[in-house]
Amino acid sequence: MKILTACSTGLGSSFMTQLNIEKALSNLGVTGVETDHMDIASVTPTSADVLFVGRDIAEAATGLMPDVVVLDSLIDMDNITKEVAAALERHGVEVPNK
Amino acid sequence: MLTSYFQPNGMMYADRVSGWREAVDKVTRPLLDAGTIEQGYVDAIKTSISSPGGTYIDLGGGVALAHARPETGVNETSLSVLHVGEPFLLADDEAHPISTMFCLAAKDSNAHIDLMQALAGLLTDSDKLAALTAASNVEELAAALA
Repeated sequence: MKILTACSTGLGSSFMTQLNIEKALSNLGVTGVETDHMDIASVTPTSADVLFVGRDIAEAATGLMPDVVVLDSLIDMDNITKEVAAALERHGVEVPNK
Repeated sequence: MLTSYFQPNGMMYADRVSGWREAVDKVTRPLLDAGTIEQGYVDAIKTSISSPGGTYIDLGGGVALAHARPETGVNETSLSVLHVGEPFLLADDEAHPISTMFCLAAKDSNAHIDLMQALAGLLTDSDKLAALTAASNVEELAAALA
């Protein structure tokens, strides 16, 4: 299982989102999930299992990957944790600390 | 610690700015003065913000992380911040009121992980974010970022 984040430059917003997703994974007690960040232009359908993006590039991200999650806030841990847990369950990964 | 990444005079407070372009000019000034970025980086940030989807640097909570690609003019990884009393609209978009704008200059996609971890830790802490939002001078801003 791999979760990817993307933004236009691939080093600011997406990097922060990746770190916050890692924190969410840790809070959820999930290990073994790979994470990465990149610029949206480099994303291909096989880059990861799930793509997380901010609302402003939702349009650019549509269709890039079968599973795209759009976040309203990149620093709202409650919502990020909820979305990460949902994504894990969609991909059959068990979430110990729900 | 996040504070150690800021350039000298890299924490700034203003009651208000005329708009997002002035905010970018102000927040990038200490980095230009220190030579960690070139003018091209400032221009690239403005171009990015005014482009479609350019408001993606709005992280949520009234906080924006102004940045662009390293090749547009980053000499050294560095950070600055501008906090304003009266929020301005990012890209003149009413959906994006901003009261705190960080400027991140990163040399490459991964080297600044410590800085980003410190910043992410601060912004995801609701008490610290509230203190940052409530700051009304440089001293309070520095305390909120410590």
